[in-house]
Amino acid sequence: MCAAAVAAGAACSWYEPAASSTSIAPVGPALPGQPGGVFTTARPTVGAAVDDFLNRPSEPRQPIEFPHDVHVGKNVACEFCHEGVDKGPAAGLPSVRTCMICHEAIATDRPRIQQITALRDKGLDLAWQRVYGFDNEDSVRFNHAPHIRAKVECATCHGNVAEQTVAQRSVEHTMGFCVNCHNERQAPVECVICHY
Amino acid sequence: MDRRSFIKLTAVTGTSAALASCGVPENQLIRFVPDEDIVPGVAVWKPGVCPLCAAGCGLTVRVMDADADVARNGQLGVVRIAAAKKLEGAPNHPVNRGGLCARGQAAIQVTYHPDRITQPLKRAGERGDGRYEAISWDDALADVVSRLDGLEEAGNQRALAFLSRGGASHRAVLIEQFLARFGAPPPAVYELFGDEVLRRANATSFGREQLPTIDLANAMFVLSFGADFLGTWNSPVAQAAAYGVMRQGRPGIRGGFVQVESRMSQTGASADEWVPARPGTEGVLALGLAHVIMAAALRPASAAGRAGALVDGWSDGLRSYTPEQVEKITGVAAARVVRLARQFAEMRPSVAVVAGPPLAHTNGLFTAVAVNALNALVGSIEQPGGVFFTPQVDLAAALKMSGRAAGAPAPPFRLQREGADDPHIGDAQVLLVDGANPVFTAPRVWGVDQALAKVPYIVSFGSFLDEMAVLADLILPDHSFLEAWREAVPESGATVAVASVAPPVMRPLYQTRSTPDVLLEVGRRLRRPLNLPWQTFDQMLAAAFAALPSASPDADAWTDAQAKGAWSGPVPPGLGRAASLPAPPAARPIAFEEPRFDGDAGQFPFHFLPYPSSAFLDGSLAHLPWLQEMPDPLTSAMWSSWVEINPAAAERLGIGQGDVLEIASAHGSIRAAAVLTPGIAPDMVAMPVGQGHRTFTRYASGRGANPVEALAPMTEPATGALAWAATRVRVSRVGPPDGRLVLFAGGMREHVEEHR
Repeated sequence: MCAAAVAAGAACSWYEPAASSTSIAPVGPALPGQPGGVFTTARPTVGAAVDDFLNRPSEPRQPIEFPHDVHVGKNVACEFCHEGVDKGPAAGLPSVRTCMICHEAIATDRPRIQQITALRDKGLDLAWQRVYGFDNEDSVRFNHAPHIRAKVECATCHGNVAEQTVAQRSVEHTMGFCVNCHNERQAPVECVICHY
Repeated sequence: MDRRSFIKLTAVTGTSAALASCGVPENQLIRFVPDEDIVPGVAVWKPGVCPLCAAGCGLTVRVMDADADVARNGQLGVVRIAAAKKLEGAPNHPVNRGGLCARGQAAIQVTYHPDRITQPLKRAGERGDGRYEAISWDDALADVVSRLDGLEEAGNQRALAFLSRGGASHRAVLIEQFLARFGAPPPAVYELFGDEVLRRANATSFGREQLPTIDLANAMFVLSFGADFLGTWNSPVAQAAAYGVMRQGRPGIRGGFVQVESRMSQTGASADEWVPARPGTEGVLALGLAHVIMAAALRPASAAGRAGALVDGWSDGLRSYTPEQVEKITGVAAARVVRLARQFAEMRPSVAVVAGPPLAHTNGLFTAVAVNALNALVGSIEQPGGVFFTPQVDLAAALKMSGRAAGAPAPPFRLQREGADDPHIGDAQVLLVDGANPVFTAPRVWGVDQALAKVPYIVSFGSFLDEMAVLADLILPDHSFLEAWREAVPESGATVAVASVAPPVMRPLYQTRSTPDVLLEVGRRLRRPLNLPWQTFDQMLAAAFAALPSASPDADAWTDAQAKGAWSGPVPPGLGRAASLPAPPAARPIAFEEPRFDGDAGQFPFHFLPYPSSAFLDGSLAHLPWLQEMPDPLTSAMWSSWVEINPAAAERLGIGQGDVLEIASAHGSIRAAAVLTPGIAPDMVAMPVGQGHRTFTRYASGRGANPVEALAPMTEPATGALAWAATRVRVSRVGPPDGRLVLFAGGMREHVEEHR
């Protein structure tokens, strides 16, 4: 039944038993302006859940081809755009507003810049996709800030982005990768450091 | 093939083909520029106020970055916002002190509900069929303004009516000011489980028109007459915390607790002793105890003062309430009456509490006054371990407005106007509705929907399409409580005056507007503007809190209250609500009258008790799926309605667990599944209120049955409050279990084990 519902593009209700009363019918028509859908599930689609289960991350497709090499080459620091990196768990992906801090004035004649300026003017943003990261089900948590404080280079985990245009997943974040580095630097390796 | 691969394969086979076409929905979404800078992954906690009941508990709200579906400039899309993610009780709030009940925990779902109304709507179909079309805020407000201007031009301002739920708040003051300045009658207030009878009794006995705050934490013996103070009544979080202290928080001391009620509530299940009395005779038992205490000279009759003097025969020692007489009326054995009386008088401090079903009879006022007199007799008024009244700030006075005479009794809910200035809804030309849903919570025989059908123009401020909102011609959806300035003025739960307040926790998700701000704007746009002295609701709140003394030396009261989520402290002179109302004129003393019931005892052999459900209260929370999923604490039922019936009665009628029953009164009938429970009198059936919504989002619509539909129009005469426990019914089995009853983990283990 559920497979059929998914195929029909409808949301699947997993838990609720069917409405029990026969005499009263719920009022039907949808109201204008409602986003619809059900309460958020962990995955947007069952397909995404299956990919996840099989540890088969999809190749991120970024909304614009962002040249990391150009920006790093001009000595723009990583944390200028990924501004959460020294403050909390997530480094964060910049909103178009961050881009416009510089590009209001710089390189305004380039087509890609005109593209994002137009987006900003429409009140829209860039739908960046994550390249790295863990899911809740991985039962592991990562916090950027203490690693920055310990002066771990960004490149240690993210590869040399100065040689990349769009960011690539150039380092596999396996548990062995983490533990090796923790051992080398005599950082704690107790389970609950990451699994909590 | 190893086990892991096998599981993976079986999980994938068969479904993967259907799913391959789903794609990556992110690519199809519109993303808006975020409104604020937030540090991803870092949580901040902000104060909030729980909106779900009148207790006014303080919240602390965890706010983090999140992708949210929102509407901006008429377009739906996704934006990264600072979103409320979790609600907890505010640790320093004087009422809930860090606690939060299950309902409060589920309040987060109000904001993110998929069926929330996201923008102003104008009726497009017939009333009640739920078809609406989008309308802009400008057009919607212009529509309301032109209707109100029309009334004003015709000199018919009294035809504007406002329907809301009760309780003191700055929002209510704003509504009263709006109506008074327009020239309309005060708002009509309807609350099914509204406690009007208890307020009136407290005004009569003690001069305080308000609910009591019970100092359970210091009590040695608690005698509760039907009050579900651990579940649904008054300020359950404050009461549950204090109850914990009474039972387990004092080394070496465990307070005693006896519950008198004819259907075991969640609270009754915690009692040391459960005393079933005949419905409507609980007051007789209270006077029986008072008789024994006075006859044994444990306390003098004069100790009860005004509260005792109101009761017929008090000064003579209540000679007509001997234990034998009490046994005859209430069914509680005489020896037990004597023992309870001695316990109550000797285990000091002791306190009696009354609320709920005992007051929902035609003689409810007598019952409450009798229990008040019993409390006064043992000296438990405004004493540690006794009954307190939370000092109340006169909100209108703090704003230098003239309001309803402080402490004056609220007028009863009426459909039709009686006096020219009485609140009403049935004679209105324009009706504004904020929160109340009498279509669901009033007996069908009152004819609320017929009365509303005659009202030409109904405006609802609701966030969900419930039975009331679906009758509206225009819906102007309010912000959720996390998106707007919220406040509450708790009537009880603390021994000092409290006012909760919190700024918006997050930006609005949709094109909704805060209802107080909408009223202020309408007031400005009228042909004859109302000249309310505030531009926005937060300006009004700032003015109100500025009149209060600051609880902190470092900040003024308004700044301090916003940071903490509440103001509390002594009420400054001139701003308190009357500490004591004058004694009522020397009417005849209050005596026991037999409770009257609707329905002949031969034809309708069972008492019918609809009671507030632990999950949904009066049904206003049935749209929250977490609460639907929450097992009832006594029956473990969820997602459904049920009828509680005594096993002896069930056997006589051939009824088994889960059988479908028909409950019929002289005014209507409903069907629900039977739950056999020994915790109910054999001549009574009980049903939780809350399910049976015709329309109330995908989670509640068409689920279960609404017991209020079958209620008779019996009222308590002094207050006009619905006597919701005064209907008799007959019970018949219509079929075997059909799956409509859902029990947690498949059933009650005790029951299964007992009947193996």
